[in-house]
Amino acid sequence: MSVRDEPIAPRPAPADAVVTGAAGWLGQNLVRALAGSGRRVRCLVHDGGEAPLLEIVGPSIEVVVGDTRDPSAIDRLFDGARGATVFHAAAVIHPDGATRAFFDVNVGGTQLVLDGARRAGARRFVHLSSNSPFGANPSSDHRFTEESPYNPYLGYGRSKQEAEQLVRRTNQWGLLPTVILRAPWFYGPYQPSRQTSFLAAVRRGRFPLLGDGTNRRSMVYTSNLVDGLLLAETADIAVGKAYWIADAQPYQMADVLATVRAALEAEGLTVARRQVHVPAAVGAVAERADRLLQRVGRYVQPVHVLGELKDTIACDIALARHDLGYEPAVGLLEGMRVSIRWCLERGEAL
Amino acid sequence: MTRTVLVTGGSGYFGTAVVDAVIARGDRVRVFDLNPPGTHDGTVDYVPGDVRDRSALRAACEGVDVVMHNVAQVPLARDRDLFWSVNVVGTANVLLAARDARVAKVVHTSTSAVFGIPEANPVTEETPPRPLEAYGRAKLRAEWLCRDAVAAGLDVTVIRPRTILGHGRLGIMAILFEFVQEGAPVFVLGGGSNRYQFVHANDLADACLRAADRAGPAVYNIGANEFGTMRQTLQALVDHAGTGARVRSLPTAPAAFAMRALTGLGQAPFAPYHWLLYGESLWFDTTRARTELGWVPTHSNASMIVESYDWFLAHRHELAGRTGSHHQSLARLGLLRLLKRLP
Repeated sequence: MSVRDEPIAPRPAPADAVVTGAAGWLGQNLVRALAGSGRRVRCLVHDGGEAPLLEIVGPSIEVVVGDTRDPSAIDRLFDGARGATVFHAAAVIHPDGATRAFFDVNVGGTQLVLDGARRAGARRFVHLSSNSPFGANPSSDHRFTEESPYNPYLGYGRSKQEAEQLVRRTNQWGLLPTVILRAPWFYGPYQPSRQTSFLAAVRRGRFPLLGDGTNRRSMVYTSNLVDGLLLAETADIAVGKAYWIADAQPYQMADVLATVRAALEAEGLTVARRQVHVPAAVGAVAERADRLLQRVGRYVQPVHVLGELKDTIACDIALARHDLGYEPAVGLLEGMRVSIRWCLERGEAL
Repeated sequence: MTRTVLVTGGSGYFGTAVVDAVIARGDRVRVFDLNPPGTHDGTVDYVPGDVRDRSALRAACEGVDVVMHNVAQVPLARDRDLFWSVNVVGTANVLLAARDARVAKVVHTSTSAVFGIPEANPVTEETPPRPLEAYGRAKLRAEWLCRDAVAAGLDVTVIRPRTILGHGRLGIMAILFEFVQEGAPVFVLGGGSNRYQFVHANDLADACLRAADRAGPAVYNIGANEFGTMRQTLQALVDHAGTGARVRSLPTAPAAFAMRALTGLGQAPFAPYHWLLYGESLWFDTTRARTELGWVPTHSNASMIVESYDWFLAHRHELAGRTGSHHQSLARLGLLRLLKRLP
C-alpha cells in the first residue's frame, strides 16, 4: 500500500479537455498549452468573434459559442465529452455596472457546467476559484491556507464561495470528482485591457501606492497557474480538495510596483520617476463606498479596485507543492517582462 | 498545371490588380467579394460573400490552391467594430477556411500601418511593429492570427505594402487630384521633407504572386525603389499637371489638429492614420523581397502618382455617385473645399 502522505504518480491525462472561459486571460493560456500537447480541446466562449481566433491555433481546438447560463450551450459543449477533464474558468470578475452577473454566471453558470459535466460522464472537474471567498488577511505576515475559513469579500467573493460549495457538494455526493484551485491576481500573456492599463499607470507613476505599500499580495503568473491546473487534473490525492496556487511567495505591494517598473525598463521603456502616494484611509473610504454600491446591486470597478489595494491578500502554497508537486517556475520580474513584450508585440500602448 | 486562386476582396481597388495579374499568368481566378468584379465578366468565377460569414468562405475555398486575402476595412472606414469583425475575425475565418480546405498557400495583405511612425527608417521585416491607431492595431492582430495559423501548419505569407497608388486609386487621393486639376494649392506638412514611399498596385500584385509561388511562410515589406520626400512627389504631380497648382506647406501640429477636428465634425474625410502619418517618414528596405522573390518594382513615386492622376482625369466624369470600396469611391470633401480658395 502506498503512503497516502506522498504524492502519487499521476495517471496520464485524458485526450479530451473541456474549457469554459476559453477566450479569457487564463483560458487563452490553458487552451494553447493543451492544444500544444496534442490534446483535443472543446472550448466555450461567449463572443462568437473569438471562436475563429481560438480555432486557428490548432485543428484539435473546437469552439462552442454560448453562455454558461444557457443550458442549450452547455449541452453542445458537453456533447461527446465522456472521459474528458473539465476546466471551469468562466466567471465574471468585473461586471458591467450591476452585481447580478456575479451570481447568475459564477454560481448559476457553475451549476449548469457541473450538471453538464456529470451527465456527459466527464472524468474530473477542475474548478478555478479565487482568493476573494477569503477576504483579506488579518495582518501582513498572515497567510491563507487550505484551513482558512470563508470570509468573502463583497459580491464577487460571495459568488465564488457559493460556487466552491456547489463544486465540493458535487464531489461529496459522488457525482463527479472535483478539484478546486484558488488563484490570486494573475499576470501574463493574453491579458485583458485592465491589466494593460495597470502596466501603463505604473509606467507613468500614476498607479496609487496606498499607505507605505508593505501590505502583501500573492500573485500568479498565468503559465504557473496552467502548470497547477494540469497537475490538479491528474493527481489522485487532489480529488475533493482545494489548493492555493500562486507564485512562490507573496510580494509587498511596493515591490510589485518596483518590479513592474524594472520590467518596463528592462524592455526598453522609459519609466516616470514619480509615484502617486495615497493615504491608506482613502482605501478604507473606497471599500466602504464599494460596500454601499454593491448593497444596491451596483458595481464600479475603480472603486472596487481602490478598496482592495490596501489589503494583504496572501496565501501559502505548501499543500499544492506537497500534494501536486506544484513548483512555480516563473517569478514576477520574468513574468512581467514576458507580459510587457506580449503587449508591445501586439501594438498595445503601454 | 493551372492553379485555382481565390482572391478575397477581388472586386476592390487592389484586389482588381491581383485578379488581373493572376489571369495574366494563366491561373483560374475565383473572386470572393461583397460586390461583383467590375470588368471580368465571364473570365472570373464570382462567389458573393462576406468574410464574416464562415460558411460562405468554406464554399469559396473548395478546390482552391492559393488564397490571396485582400479583404479589409481601410482607415477611411473609421469604425472599430468593423476593424475587429472584418480585419481581425474575417482574417481568422479566411485562414480557417483555407486550412480546412487544405489550401497550399495563403498570401495575406497587411499594411505598413502596423509600424505607426517608426523610430528609424528604413523599416525592415525585423523592425518591431508599433501601430498607433485602431486600423493598424487590427491589422497587426490579423498578422498574429497568421502566425498562429503558421504555427498550426498552414503556409501563410504576410505582405506589408506602403500606400498603394496606380490607375483607379481614389479615396483620399481623389481629393488631392481634384485640387491639382482645379489649380488649387496642394499641401504638405512641415515642409514636406518627410520621405514617404508609395507602391504601385501592379508592382504589389506582382510581389503577392511571387510570394504565392514561394513555399514556406514569410513576411515581406513592399514599397517602391524610387521615391523621395512628400514634397518631391507632389511637385512631380503638379509639374505634370500644369494647372498652376502649387505645393504649399502647413505647420504639422496645427494641420494635424485641424484634420482631426474637421473629421470629428464630419467635414473632412480623414482617418487617424492620415493625420498621424502624412507628415512623417516611413519607408521600407525591400531587400528581402528583391532577393528572395526576385521582385523588381517598375514604378517610382512620381510615375505612379502621375498615372493615378491621369486616370482620374480621364474618368472623373463617370465617378460621381460611383459605389464600391472606399479606395474606389470619391471621398466627401466637406469644409476642405475652402482650402481651394487659398491663393
